[in-house]
Amino acid sequence: MDLDAEHLMMRVRARDANALETLYDAHHRLVYGVAMRMLGEVSAAEDVTQGVFLKVWSSPELFRGGNFPAWIVRMTRNRCLDALRSRNAHPQTELPETLPEDTAIEDVAFANLDARAVRSALQALPAEQREPIELGFFGGITHEEIARKSNVPLGTIKTRIRMGLKKLRTALEGAVSA
Amino acid sequence: MTDTHDELLDDVALYALGTLAAADAQRVRDHLQTCDTCRAEYEALVPVVAALGTSQEASADASSGSVVASPLIKARIMREVRKKKHVSSNGHRRHLVWPAYAVAAACFALATASVLYNIALNDRLHQAEIRLAHQSVVNERDDSMLSDLANVKAQRVSVPGGEVVRSNGHLYLAMHDMPAAPDGKVYQAWTLPKGAKKMVPSATFVPDNRGVALVPVSNDAVNTVAVAVSIEPPGGSKQPTSAPVFVAHLE
Repeated sequence: MDLDAEHLMMRVRARDANALETLYDAHHRLVYGVAMRMLGEVSAAEDVTQGVFLKVWSSPELFRGGNFPAWIVRMTRNRCLDALRSRNAHPQTELPETLPEDTAIEDVAFANLDARAVRSALQALPAEQREPIELGFFGGITHEEIARKSNVPLGTIKTRIRMGLKKLRTALEGAVSA
Repeated sequence: MTDTHDELLDDVALYALGTLAAADAQRVRDHLQTCDTCRAEYEALVPVVAALGTSQEASADASSGSVVASPLIKARIMREVRKKKHVSSNGHRRHLVWPAYAVAAACFALATASVLYNIALNDRLHQAEIRLAHQSVVNERDDSMLSDLANVKAQRVSVPGGEVVRSNGHLYLAMHDMPAAPDGKVYQAWTLPKGAKKMVPSATFVPDNRGVALVPVSNDAVNTVAVAVSIEPPGGSKQPTSAPVFVAHLE
């Protein structure tokens, strides 16, 4: 368990604003970084960052324990998808469904990985696997759209994403145990 | 969605990555309820997907080339949180919050009315005593400022967290919802006179813990075409050293 975050979230539930401030100091770069990658605009990324931490404050019960960074990244991605929807840039394209925010991600093995280790593991993937994974996660589009954009059969894209994620898991496990 | 289990596992990976549209996502969710193999695959992949976000974690160091979040975000969040906490601690009742300067103006008007009422009712009060009592509440400068701010004919230009008020030839910043300045910094107001190319430095200020600040900015409102605020070192700067927090253009 991510005991620090668990403890801080208990204090947030008890309405301790200092605990939220500590969580912000520890995790805002993660939230802001994901939002910037997905939205590409400072003001939109700032709005999402503010919205995520205010949600942590107003609905701390959504965090069911486990991997706090994973949970907050999920919340961030969902808000970015909402922002992309509201831009309505491609009304003909269906955006993926948001991920559940009230589900615990019990596996905390990767909770303390730093950005460099993850980037290194990602770079080690073949481009044909890395690109659809990144496009799917940060681009906020469905795998069908990825297949269309990359002109690759749908079934092939699906298999590449799954194989890429499995390889990534193995690489990250190696980074954790190193 | 497809029938063979291997293809279902592909869909589970897509679900973990969050690239399925709503209808497909629901079908995978239903399947996960009944299939241990797929559930184990899902649980193995979700933390991997979450770690993808970590790859974008911005550095705390702007010199590294990554984009750094503005310190004002934290200030805005914590101000909002403390405001909500205050409302919550008052029995979860949502009160109408008046800007403090409006409250101050209302109090001034009430005090003045009360004084006049007392004069009419009680001629035993000596005029000098009234003036003395009045001066103990507000000095002349505050009188003038509050009367300017309460002026219904004043021109008001909305800015983030407050407004710029032009009244009786004076310019004021009337902020009611402004984040605290970053540690070791203050806000500084700037004015742009008609025909000038450079901003002229005006007052430095910090809002109080409710985000309120009343700042006289210029006594030459007629010849001022814009007001800006930036974050500066204590004591202020001769030229802005940071991007403006806002710029208000006056008609």
